[in-house]
Formats: sequence, structure tokens, C-alpha cells
Amino acid sequence: MTDLFTLAQSELLPQATLLHYLFVSAAMFAIGIIGFLTRRNLIIMFLCTELMFQGAGLAMIAFGRHHLNFTGDVFVIFVLTIAAAEAALALALVVYLFRRKETLNAAEWAELRG
Amino acid sequence: MQFATPFLLYLGVVVGALGVAMALPRRGLSPQAVGAIIAGGGLGLVFLALGLRAGPDWPGIYFYIFSFIGLGAALRMISHPRPVYAALYFILTILASSGLYLLLAAEFMAFALIIIYAGAILITYLFVIMLATQAPVAEEIDVLSDYDRYSREPIVSTLAGFALLAVLTSMLVGGLAEPLHRAGPDRAVTGALLTRKIEPLLTEAYGLPPDAQLVEVEGASVTVAFPSGWGGSEQIQIFRPLSPGETMAFDLPEGATMENIEQIGLTLVGKHPLGLEVAGVILLMAMLGAIILAQKQSQVEEGRKSAAARKGLTTGPEVYP
Repeated sequence: MTDLFTLAQSELLPQATLLHYLFVSAAMFAIGIIGFLTRRNLIIMFLCTELMFQGAGLAMIAFGRHHLNFTGDVFVIFVLTIAAAEAALALALVVYLFRRKETLNAAEWAELRG
Repeated sequence: MQFATPFLLYLGVVVGALGVAMALPRRGLSPQAVGAIIAGGGLGLVFLALGLRAGPDWPGIYFYIFSFIGLGAALRMISHPRPVYAALYFILTILASSGLYLLLAAEFMAFALIIIYAGAILITYLFVIMLATQAPVAEEIDVLSDYDRYSREPIVSTLAGFALLAVLTSMLVGGLAEPLHRAGPDRAVTGALLTRKIEPLLTEAYGLPPDAQLVEVEGASVTVAFPSGWGGSEQIQIFRPLSPGETMAFDLPEGATMENIEQIGLTLVGKHPLGLEVAGVILLMAMLGAIILAQKQSQVEEGRKSAAARKGLTTGPEVYP
């Protein structure tokens, strides 16, 4: 009984091509955009941006594997950093806004547009 | 067969767009389950096209499992009316994509993703979702608000998102379709790095004396200097005893390879030190910003309480839990 990692790298299971991973990452990004446009809850809109981060991160890891270096992994570390900072700030703002109007509806804050 | 690939790809994208548009919640008739099945069929068509293009070797089953779980959970996340469930489905997406990272031989990032994303960031989201929910009114048990129940402009948004996906797919039509390198990244120790890791391995494999010094690592061979000479050991016989100060080349012992985390660390501090510093500054700024925002909130509440006290009113029941 081998573990999943060894099995995935072995001859038994052929590796997917770069295109497979790129398509999955692009689809994840597209679903994130659709969610950001359709959902009206402020928190879920931020969650959809995290989904777009995920799509970008998958593409970076796949490209790093393709070129056999680790820059992709390192940039995913930076993406995680940005995501953590964004979550802390954006969620603090969301709580602040919620206490003012008692709603998370993005349309309630439409007057914030320039 | 190669001729049919672009058509299949775009057919898959169009079917997927149709399915996603149906899966989004709408007023009136919204066949969400049917839409999800159609979107899965679209994804299957795309994978069929990519597999035909890649040639005889189809990817292993795990790739399909993880990508179907990840994209399906992502779709459920943007279509689920309850925010808490949406966040939980996003955790499922993260678990699936860390499975994909494992297939891509990025073990460290796979587990860092689970720990940081699913463990820390998503829990913050869940906290805020529970914090920022209207208190349920007694006669109304179902507290789903209108803006969570129906999505805004599902068809137009789906068109916008899938137009982007179609453009990205056109890149895939022309892209190269070789399988990823089977062997994975080079795990040999490069240069004279990680000598402290090699030295004990060398001593164990060849029975070197305690004063032996590692001079150089070049490819798969190591040069070792013997300040007080050496006459061989049980593990390895040598043709003639070495005189003091002589050097000798050895093969790298078994296990003298770099782990994934060591390679990431070397890349991080060796090639991107500025990025590391900037990431630290960003985290510090985020922390300061969060502290300032939290202070402002408490000031707003105190101001409201003192205004109420000046009017001669009691503060009354706490409005904000």
C-alpha cells in the first residue's frame, strides 16, 4: 500500500498535462468572477475573490512543476500572505459597515461609488 | 481526432456556461440540480477534448476526482443561499486543490494551504459571518435574507465569466500538450548547500573519521579532506592509506536529496528576499489597520452611549451584540 503522493508520481498513473491544470485554474477563476458579480452579500463577495486567488495559485504551482523550479510555490506563499492580510482588513471593514446599517447587502452601499 | 479538439473544448465551455447559469438561484423557476449536472457534463467534455489532445496517456483518476470535487464545490459555493454553507464549500474547494498540489509534487504548499487557508482564513470568515448576522425575529425562524436568496443578474454575469474562460481556453487550443515531466523537480543537493545534512549521512555510509571535512559537493560526488590521514573503514576499502591533508571523492550517499520544503526555503530566501520583506511589511500594515478599525468601532459605540446619557435616556438594551 503506497501513499497517494508516491502513487501520483509513479509510472502507474500517467501525469496530466499542463493544459489540464491550466483549464481547472481558469475555470476556478471564472467561477470566482461569476460569484463576485452575482452574489450580493459582502462577505461572500470577498470569499469569491479568495476563490480567484485559488485559481491563480493553482496555475502558478502547475507552471512551477512544468519548468521544474520552485518560484511558483514561493509566489503561492505570497498569495497566502496577501489573502491573510486582505481577510483581516476586509472583514474588519465589513463588520464596521454592518454595525452602521445592519445589513450585508452590497446594494445598500451603492452611494460609495465615485 | 486532433481536428475535433477545439470544437469539443468550446462546446464544453458553452455547455458549462449554460449549466452554471441554470445553477445560480433565481426568482421563480431555478433548476439548480439540473444546472449543476449540465455544468459537470461541460467539464467532462473539456476533459475529453484535452485528453484527446494529450495523446495516448490519459491522466490518472486522481486528477479527475480532485478537479470535479473542487469545481463542483466552487459552483455550490456561489449558488448556496446560506453564507456559512458557502464558506464550508469553499473549504472543500481548498481541500480539493491541495490534492491537486500533491499531484503536482508540491507537498509543502499542499499542507500549508490546508493549515493557513482552511484553518486560519476561512475560520476568520466563519467568525465574521456569524458575527454579522441579524438576530432572528421570534415569529420568523428562517432568517435567510432576500439578498442571499437570489443572485443578481445571473445570465449576464455568467456570460461575462465564461467569455473570459473562452479566451483563456483559446490559449489552451494552441498550447503545448506534453505531459508534465515524470521525474518531478531535481531533488539532488545543489552545490555546497546543506552540508550539515550531508555530513552525518557520509559518516554513516562510509565510516569517516570524526575530523574529516567536507570540501565540495559537485553533482553526485562529494570531496572530503582528511587532516590526519585515513586508512579506510569497515564500510569501504581503499587502495592505499591517505596521508594527512589528502582529499578523496565519494559518491553522494543514499538519502542526500533535498526535501520539497528545503528547496522552497532556498528559493524563498535565495531568489526572492525582497518579496519576503515586502510580505512582512504588508502583514504588519494589515495588523495595524485592523487595530485602528477595531478602535474606531469601540469609539463609535462609546460616543453613542454618551450621547444617549446626555439626553437623559438610559442606554437601554444593548442593540449590538
